[in-house]
Order: sequence, then C-alpha cells, then structure tokens
Amino acid sequence: MTSVRPKLKPETPKAITAWDTASGQTVWLSADGQWTSDMTRLGVFTGRAAEDRLNEARAQEHLVTDPYFMEVTAAGTIAGRETLRETIRAQGPTVPYGEVPR
Amino acid sequence: MPLIKNGCVVDNEWTFIDDSTDPDGTGLVTVSLPRYLQDVTRERTRNVTLGVRLTPSDDPDLLLPHLDHLPLIEIEFPKYTDGRGYSLAQILRRRHGYTGELRAVGHVLRDQILYMNRSGFDAFETARADLSQVLEALSEHSAYYQPAADGHPTVFARRHLRPD
Amino acid sequence: MYRYDEFDAAIVRERVDQFRGQVSRRLDGTLLEDEFKPLRLQNGVYLQLHAYMLRVAIPYGQLDPAKLRRLADIAERYDRGYGHFTTRQNIQFNWVGLKDIPDVLQSLSEVEMHAIQTSGNCIRNVTSDHFAGAAQDEVMDPRPWCEIIRQWSTFHPEFAFLPRKFKIAVTAAEDDRAAIRVHDIGLHIRRRDGQIGFEVHVGGGQGRTPVIATKLNDFVPETELLDYLEAIMRVYNRFGRRDNKYKARIKILVTETGADEFRRLVDTEYAAKTDAEKIALPQAEIDRIHAYFAPPDLTRKPARSQILETAQAANPAFQRWIRVNLHPHKQAGYASITISLKPIGGLAGDATTAQMRVVAKLAEEYGHDDIRVTHAQNLVLPHVALDDLPALYADLDGAGLATANEGLVTDMIVCPGLDYCNLANARSIPVGQDIQQTFADPDYQEDIGRLHINISGCINACGHHHVGHIGILGVDRKGEEFYQISLGGRADHHAAIGDIAGRALSREEVPDAIKRIIDTYRDLRTSAAEPFIETLNRLGHTPFKEAIYAAD
Repeated sequence: MTSVRPKLKPETPKAITAWDTASGQTVWLSADGQWTSDMTRLGVFTGRAAEDRLNEARAQEHLVTDPYFMEVTAAGTIAGRETLRETIRAQGPTVPYGEVPR
Repeated sequence: MPLIKNGCVVDNEWTFIDDSTDPDGTGLVTVSLPRYLQDVTRERTRNVTLGVRLTPSDDPDLLLPHLDHLPLIEIEFPKYTDGRGYSLAQILRRRHGYTGELRAVGHVLRDQILYMNRSGFDAFETARADLSQVLEALSEHSAYYQPAADGHPTVFARRHLRPD
Repeated sequence: MYRYDEFDAAIVRERVDQFRGQVSRRLDGTLLEDEFKPLRLQNGVYLQLHAYMLRVAIPYGQLDPAKLRRLADIAERYDRGYGHFTTRQNIQFNWVGLKDIPDVLQSLSEVEMHAIQTSGNCIRNVTSDHFAGAAQDEVMDPRPWCEIIRQWSTFHPEFAFLPRKFKIAVTAAEDDRAAIRVHDIGLHIRRRDGQIGFEVHVGGGQGRTPVIATKLNDFVPETELLDYLEAIMRVYNRFGRRDNKYKARIKILVTETGADEFRRLVDTEYAAKTDAEKIALPQAEIDRIHAYFAPPDLTRKPARSQILETAQAANPAFQRWIRVNLHPHKQAGYASITISLKPIGGLAGDATTAQMRVVAKLAEEYGHDDIRVTHAQNLVLPHVALDDLPALYADLDGAGLATANEGLVTDMIVCPGLDYCNLANARSIPVGQDIQQTFADPDYQEDIGRLHINISGCINACGHHHVGHIGILGVDRKGEEFYQISLGGRADHHAAIGDIAGRALSREEVPDAIKRIIDTYRDLRTSAAEPFIETLNRLGHTPFKEAIYAAD
C-alpha cells in the first residue's frame, strides 16, 4: 500500500533505488551496476537502458527488495514530486530521534 | 505438479474437467460443484468416478447428501492469501464428518501447509515445495491452542490432563 | 500477570525457529518477496521507508520489569537506542536488520515475548484498558479474558489469511479506555445475575472508511465466548470482500450486508456448531488463567497520605503532575499513574533505552512489577502507594519522564508519518511538535483541560485522527504536505467520527488554526468545567470552523 509512485516519462532522468534485503538499508544502483548506500554514487538512467536495468534489479530479489525508479536531475540529485519522501529515505527522519528533549 | 499425500509423494490419478469440456467417459475426474450436483446422480451410468473441486465461494453444505461416497474433494486456492479454503475444509471435516481425501490445489506454498493440514487437508498439490519441505513444515509446531480438524488435543485441554 | 507454561514457551520457541528458517530462505532466494511478505508481516516485520521495522507484541499492554529491560537491551543492541510505543499497546523498533530479527525474537522469547500476529491479515494483538485490575469502574479485571483470546487466536489455522487485518479490544469498565467501538470486535464485559458475559460490538474501525461498531449481542456468556468469536470470524473469512483491499475489513461486510442480516449469519453459524466443534474450554483452565491476575498484595493504607500532601505543598510542579497524571485506584491509599511519553518537542510514544530501564526499576521499587502501555502511547504504573509518589516523581523527572500532560492538549496521538512510514503522505511528528510548542505553557494546557488531538500522516489513520476531538490528517498535494482538520471525533463510550472542517491547511498554518479553535472554545465554554468536546457538541461546529479559517 505504498503511496502510488508517479509514472516517469522515458526521457526523464532516473535512478534505481531499493532496499537491501538483509539490512533494509536504502540503496541505489550505481552506473556500473553495483548496489550502493552512498547516494553520491547513484547512476542516472533514461529510456530503454533504464527499463533494462530495472528488470535486472527485479531479478535480484535476494539482494534487493522492491526496486523502482526515482526521479533525479541529470546530475543525479533527487527531483520531482517525491522529493521529500526520497530525501527522507536517503537521509533519515527530519526530526531528531532517540534522545530526550530538554 | 507433485502431489503429496499422507507424507508421501503419490501419483495423481485424477483429472479436473472444466465445465466447458465433456468427460470422455472413463476414469477419475473432478468437476465444479454445480456440475457435480448435476452429474452425480448419473455417475453410475457412465464409467466415471466423480470428485468435486470447490472454489472458495462455494457452499460446502450442498455436498452434505453426497459426502459418504465422495472419494475426493479438491479445494482451490486461487491465491495463497485467499483463506476461505481453510473454513471450507474445517466445515467439511468437523461439522459434516467428511472422511475422504481433501486436497489443496492451486497456489499452495510450503508455509501454508501446516495451517492447511490443521484445517483438514490431507493432500497437497504444490509446485513450490518438495516432500522434505512439506514434512518439515508439518513438524514445525508441537502444541496448538485451538481445536481443529487434525484432532490434536488443545493446549487448553492438555494442561489439565497432566498427572500432577 | 500471566506466566508461560511449557506449552506457551514451546509455541513461541518453535515460532522463532520457524521464522529463522523463513528468513534464511528469503535471503538465499528460495522464498520470493511476494511469498515472504505475509509471513514476515504475521511476525511484525514491515519494510518501512528506510529500514525494516519490527513490531513486538505487548498483549493487552501488559509489561513487567524483565520484559521492559529486555526491550531496552534489544533497542541498544539491534536498534538505535529507542523504541516507539504504539496505539495498539505494542512497541516498534525502526532500524532492525532482517538478518538480525531471528536473534531478536530469540531474545524476546527468553522473557515470554514475541512478535506473533502484530501485523498481517490475521487476528492482531488484543488490546484492553490500561487501568485493568486497578480501575474503580470495572466489573472485573478484563485481562484473563484478553489472555484467553490471545491464546485462542495465536496461530489459529482457519484465520491466518483473512480478507484483512482483525483487531479485538476488551474493556470491563463503564468509561471505555480501550476504544472498543472502533475495533473489528469490541467486547464489553458485563455482569448479569452474577454471571460474567460479553456485550459484543462488531464492525468498527478507522482507516479510509471510519465506522462506529454495531452492537451484535447484549450478552454472550463467558463459556461461549470463543465459540461465538469463531462464528463471527468464520462468517467474515468466508464472506468478507477480497476484491478490493479498501473494502475488505469486517466493517464493510457488516455495512453492506446490514446489521440484522450479519447477525443472522453469525447466529446461524453459531447454532450450526456441533459439540465436537466447540472449544470446550475447561473450567479449570478458565480458573487457572484467572489466577495469574490476582490483585497485587497491597498493604492497607489510609486514603490520604501525609507524605504526599507535604510534598505537594512544597513543589508546585509535583502538585501539577499529581493533579494531571494520577488516576484513582480501587484500593484506598493507592493510585495509577501515567508516565507521559509526550514531552514538549519530543516524539510521541518514543522511549530511550535509559528511560525504559528507569521505568523498569521504578516499577520494581514502587509499582509491584506492573507496567502498562496505553493506546494513547504512554506508560502506566497501575499500582503505586500514594506515599511513594514523591520519590517516584523525582526519579521520573530525572529521566525526562515527568511531563504533566495526561489527557491534555499536548498529549497527542501521533503516527510515525512520512519520517518513517512507507505508506504516509505527509509528516506527522513535526506537526505535533509545532502544536506542542504552541501550548507548551502548562497553565494554559491545564486551563484548556481534556482535549485529544490525534494526527495521522495518511488515510490509513494509524494516528486515530477520525476519533480525535480535533483530528489532523496529512495529505499530499503534488509533493507538498497539507493537513485536513476534523472536529468532534471521540473514541470513548460515546464514540463518534469527526467531521472534516474544510479546506486543508499548509503545515505552517496548522498550529495557529488549532490555537484559534481552542481559544474559541475558551471564550464560549460555560465554565472551565465544560470540556472542549461538550462545548463543541452543545454549540455545533460552525464557530470552530470559522475560527480555523479566520486568517483567510
């Protein structure tokens, strides 16, 4: 029941993101096909190549769960209407946690 | 597709015939509930042994007059998350005392088989588990709180059977 | 409280092994995610926005020091040093790795805990009155029946793949603190001619279609309860909708079938049950389980405590905490106290490992080893001697746990929202924090009096916004967060669904709009003794709606 993910046009630059199956960490697919938790290393894909990469990612269920397209700029920074959600996925909650307010 | 019954892999001698096909006149066939109710009276005039395949929305009470001579009831799981078949099985086994084969067919996965067995299924047609996995699934628990079709005494009762 | 015998222990231990196997098959690729998902959910494992989340069951909100310490240990070792108490009296850990969860479950099983059926389309953790066993207004302690229901529903083979999740709540008190009318089944324990029985409500719920439950039966005798529940469950399992997950809860079946026809279906199913099918709970078993819930051995004490009164006179902050966070106990000289997990600017329902350990220690020293979780995401020590309250307060205060706001405007129910949740459309926590800052002045809060603000970050309504006196629902508009205000909801024995006031507000507009609603109430109430919800019901919503949009 994830909120509906926006459909992205083929030419829109996109990254592929997922959850690391063992740890649950947010990961992105790098340009050379590795899963990384370092967002600065994410690959930017478009068109047919992007679809192929996503299909490959879906076949790696034991490694990553529920991969999907995330909108980015050509430079690889988060963009589009899911910016807030994807920023929180990348950086964690927007509020300090695990401490007692004073 | 492998058929596992009473802890063994067995040959499946039955064929399901959908409502648009005519049985060829011989053998062991299962048919839908409406067709079964229509054909059962004519069964002996043809060389066919009839079983029935229930869909999850079928009313198992309709089989009540026929249970004594029904050799096989299949219950279909269109998707493994559709839990209606468990209720149908419990009704057939516990309320109506059906003693023939009760077979789970369709989307049958290893991790549902223990619940299916408790609900009264004794045969499983599954593409997603082999015999050793099914046997492992069936041995995962040693105690159960609720009464079910498998006849295990409940924990509620066992607690008071112990010699103190 | 209940203690496991060898059967309970074996069932939980076997579950740990079973889940360890399932996780290992998931990680080696044997189990596909689609096949694994219902299995992990039935063990409380979600995949949230940036991590797995593990929801641990706290049946009917009952904890003891050993359990709470173990939760603290788990938070420290496998998580990030805190846990989140939920509206169904459970606790969630936000950062546990899937590969570690079998070890966490192993650790929980050592203190008679588990995560069984804390999610998924099955019968969930049974919830109850957090003052059970201590409240003046209960006909009996409801916990024995909660425990019986817990056991009966655990791994029920027929009801593991229901159309949708299924929540049962039990109360035995006139003042419904368990929100039974917004549960799939709500049970109200009644005494009739010396016999115990259950008034059964069915088909309540929140989510995108909020419904107040229908009374199905006035009195089901206790010996028939489980069989009657099975009849309801079977009717739901067979006939509940499975074509649309948003219409799959039992409330939709009851609404679409009609209450009378639904009752007829249940009665027919119940009547058809043969003796061989009945659960036949032995009386000795009912007695055995009840015996675990014998009241603690409370020394007789005078109704007034000199120690307490002296301390109150010396410390206004303590006096306020006593005034706000104390609930009367059935035995003179004792009280139930709420430990607020809603400090101003904090995260509603969160507790750090250090705080959990402090509460465990205090429950041992002053609380007869009894700790409860409330559906409003606070903790309760149900049995504390009045004489011990000053010392208890001092220790709580030192741990940041002495906020005096139980039931007040800053004691909000807040879901994790978009900061954590994969379903959320908007953030809830920062909105709640902003509102808290607006009402941070404790005198102002006390002047406002009892007022429940509930915040959900999406239509699934985990933050109970439909039944908040003031409800706030986060919505997404093209990537921007907006918040819809509703008025007049309540979760108690006068349960009602709030009405949406009008257009949604931006996050910045929310605190001032809430303040205008509340200041309107303070202007219009007959006296400070008239609570917000009664003023609202007396005058209607118009002046309050106008207040919301007065800045337009």
